Parts: sequence; C-alpha cells; structure tokens
Amino acid sequence: MLEGAELYFNVDHGYLEGLVRGCKAGLLTERDYVNLVQCETLEDLKIHLQTTDYGNFLANQTNPLTVSKIDTEMRKKLCSEFEYFRNHSLEPLSTFFTYMTCSYMIDNVILLMNGALQKKSVKEILVKCHPLGRFTEMEAVNIAETPSDLFNAVLIETPLAPFFQDCMSENILDELNIELLRNKLYKSYLEAFYKFCKNHGDVTAEIMCPILEFEADRRAFIITLNSFGTELSKEERETLFPTCGKLHPEGLRLLAQAEDFEQMKRVAEHYGVYKPLFEAVGDGSGGKTLEDVFYEHEVQMNVLAFNRQFHYGVFYAYTKLKEQEMRNIVWIAECISQRHRTKINNYIPIL
Amino acid sequence: MSGKDRIEIFPSRMAQTIMKARLKGAQTGRNLLKKKSDALTLRFRQILKKIIETKMLMGEVMREAAFSLAEAKFTAGDFSTTVIQNVNKAQVKIRAKKDNVAGVTLPVFEHYQEGTDSYELTGLARGGEQLAKLKRNYAKAVELLVELASLQSSSPGLNVPLPISSQNWMRESEKSSIG
Repeated sequence: MLEGAELYFNVDHGYLEGLVRGCKAGLLTERDYVNLVQCETLEDLKIHLQTTDYGNFLANQTNPLTVSKIDTEMRKKLCSEFEYFRNHSLEPLSTFFTYMTCSYMIDNVILLMNGALQKKSVKEILVKCHPLGRFTEMEAVNIAETPSDLFNAVLIETPLAPFFQDCMSENILDELNIELLRNKLYKSYLEAFYKFCKNHGDVTAEIMCPILEFEADRRAFIITLNSFGTELSKEERETLFPTCGKLHPEGLRLLAQAEDFEQMKRVAEHYGVYKPLFEAVGDGSGGKTLEDVFYEHEVQMNVLAFNRQFHYGVFYAYTKLKEQEMRNIVWIAECISQRHRTKINNYIPIL
Repeated sequence: MSGKDRIEIFPSRMAQTIMKARLKGAQTGRNLLKKKSDALTLRFRQILKKIIETKMLMGEVMREAAFSLAEAKFTAGDFSTTVIQNVNKAQVKIRAKKDNVAGVTLPVFEHYQEGTDSYELTGLARGGEQLAKLKRNYAKAVELLVELASLQSSSPGLNVPLPISSQNWMRESEKSSIG
C-alpha cells in the first residue's frame, strides 16, 4: 500500500488510535495485581477494582458475588469498547476488525452446528455464544437439517465462507470431528489474516506479521503436544498446522513426525526465537508449562506493538492484552474464592 | 427363678434328659446369635471407620478437582459449553453386587469404564495438558464417590439385623438361664 503511513494514517484512524492508547493506559499494573492478590474475599476484590479503570462495573450485581459474574461483566465491558472502535472505523481498519472477530465467530459457529445437530433450542445456545463473534445470520441456524445445508443456506453469507471452502471435500461436512473442523477453520482463518496484513504492507505488516507467525507456530507446537497419546494420526495432525509461521515448511514436517516432547524440543532448537522459550519450560509440576511460556511471549510482543505508531496492530494488541488481563483477574478471583492461595501468583504479568 | 417363667413338668428321669437337651440347644442358639451379632458389629465398625476416612479424603480430592478446573479455564478459556453440548453416553458406570456377612446380604457398588473418551481432542489447540489433569482429578473424585456411596448404603443394611440379633440373643440368654 502507500508508503509513508505517517502522512495519511491520522486522517482516517487517528481518533481511534488515540482512544485505544488511552484505554491501554488503563490496563492493570503490577501494583494493582499485588493489591488484588492480597484480597481475602471477592468483595475486597470488587472494591480494589473500583479504583482502577474498571470502576463500578459490578455495582449492579446482587449478592453473592461469584467469579462467573465478574467474568461476564468484564467481558461486557471489553465488548462495548470493541464495538465502539468497530463502529467508528473506516476501511481498511474495519476489515481488520472483521478479521479479528472471525476467531470468535468460528467458536460460535461450531457451537451452533453442534446444537443444531443435537436438535437443541437455538435460544439457549445463543446465550452462550461469545458476544464478539456475533453475526446477523445466527438465529437462522436452526432451519438447516444437516451441516451441509447449514453451510449452503446460512454460513455462505458470513465472512467465514472462504474458510469453510478449504475444509470441505465434496460438500461433506458431517464426518469431520467437531474439534478437527474447528482447528481446520482456524488454520485457514489465520492464513487469510496473515495474507491481508502482508498485503497491506507498511508498519501494520511489520508489527502484525511476526505476531501472527508466532500464533501459527504456537498452535503447531501445542497441537503436536496435545496429540501425543490420542488417536489423531500424524497425517491428520499435519493438516491442522497453519502454514504462515516460521516453521513452514521444514519445521512443520519435522513436527508432524515427532512422538514426544524431546523430539519437539529438538525441532524448536533449530529456530532462534523458540529455543529460549523451550528452555524456560520447567519439568513436571512446579515449573512453568509450555503454554505459560507461550502466553508470556505473546504478551511481550503485544506490549511492544505499542512502541510504533500509525498501524492497526495496536487494536489487535489491546484486545489480546485485555483478554489476558481478564483471565488473570478470573484466576486470582478463583484462587481467593476456593481459598487455594498457593498458586495465586501464577498470573501472567502484563505491564 | 421367676414365678411366671415356670415350666410345668412331670418330675421323671426322661423329663430331666429332655430338659438338659433343651438347655443345650438354647445355649448353642445363644452362642450362635452372639457370634452373629459380634460379626455384624465388627463389620459395622469397619464400615463406619472407612466412611470417615473416605469423607476426609473426599474433601481434599474435591478441592483439588475444583482448583484444576480453575487452572484449565485459565489456560484453555471457557470450554464448558463445548463439553456440555457433546455429552452422549456415560463413560463410567456402576455395577451393584451382593456381599454376604453372617447371613445378611449387603449391596456393594463397583465402577467400571466403558467406551472411549469422547473429549479426547477437546483443548487440542489450547490447554490440553490442563484438561487431561482435570479429567484425571475428577475421575478420582468419581471413584471415591462411588466407594462412599457403597459404604453408606451398606450401613443402614446392617442397622436392622444388628439390634434384632442382639434382642434375640438376650431372649435366648434368658431362656438358657432358666435351665
């Protein structure tokens, strides 16, 4: 696209970038987390959260306060901020936002397909869908009898249509295991998002492409790790790896052949970025798991995205950091409510 | 010797032999009943002890399982709707068997696994390790629950024959004290 984003960016997107930077300044700091960890009850937690950017978000909640209520309210707040950004955005930022919501849409569609197959009422499933992944055709899902009908009638209008086309062979969707379908959709989504960012060029590509490459490689590692000991065959495993990461093609081929954690570690040692991550993994209980290490690295990359200006990556980074913060708060709240404080400091620090 | 328990008898040698045999019979009966009541009491005490141990262990195991659920949610996000949607057949089932203690039949529950894990691939992309740990913890909790249920259903089973046999034993002792 046009070089010299500094000249053109603020015309369309300056207001939103300023807004998102302001929101990012409201993320919880280390001191806030220290205060939260010292709370004895969920009521204390609520009082501490009132002094932060969250304010009185729990003011309308009746007693007793539960962790799931806190989670729902936080999610509502994130969604209203996201919708605000989205409604005020112009092209191509609005396409970028649509790509961001696709991952939630994929989860919702899988949920709806499952429910339709088991003849459950659409209303109950709609309540459980992720609000960021809402699309207009959701209520129409129960008119379809089989998944293929579902696709041809309903999903073809959504942004997810091209991802489904990659997974379908002769329009047969029924045989695929639900989890395999979910992972295949996510793979095509990630590759499409990566292509979009790369074609956009400029600072956005410089920031977003490494983040998406890491996401792709991380999925490849985690899928490999979790498929040891299950009935997932190596060929099937390979079809689930997204190809837009650094591991493509040799690393993915080696990973598909791996049979245990040590072999995976050897594959990672060929890549300078992943070698230190794997070395930071503790063994067994007490140390960090691979997923924790990956989460920390993701958070680092997202925080660094704010060091550059005039790109769309700040919106992506803000949403991901906010989600991690929500997970941290829920973790601390669960430890407090279950009075199991030994691992309460295992949240991922952000700022 | 109390007046109302008098047995009318004709004082002959035959009557004495018969009476001695009756006394012997009553004593044997009383001893057997004592043995039965002792065995039932012993079994009852064992069951009670095991119930207490299992209940204490249950508290720990449930706490552990609930905490591993929080850990899994931290890493894998919210998978509760996926899990609830995909429920079809039970994987862990219970068989009821009968156990005989001194003539009293008590029910015993035994759990067994059937079928494969339909949630094998859940959490494939995130949190699979934590989900596996979670499944193990809750499986342990279910096993303990089955054991506890088995113990608790046998204890009322013992509560009825135990006092009855003690009563019978008392009656027999009275009878044998007459001779």
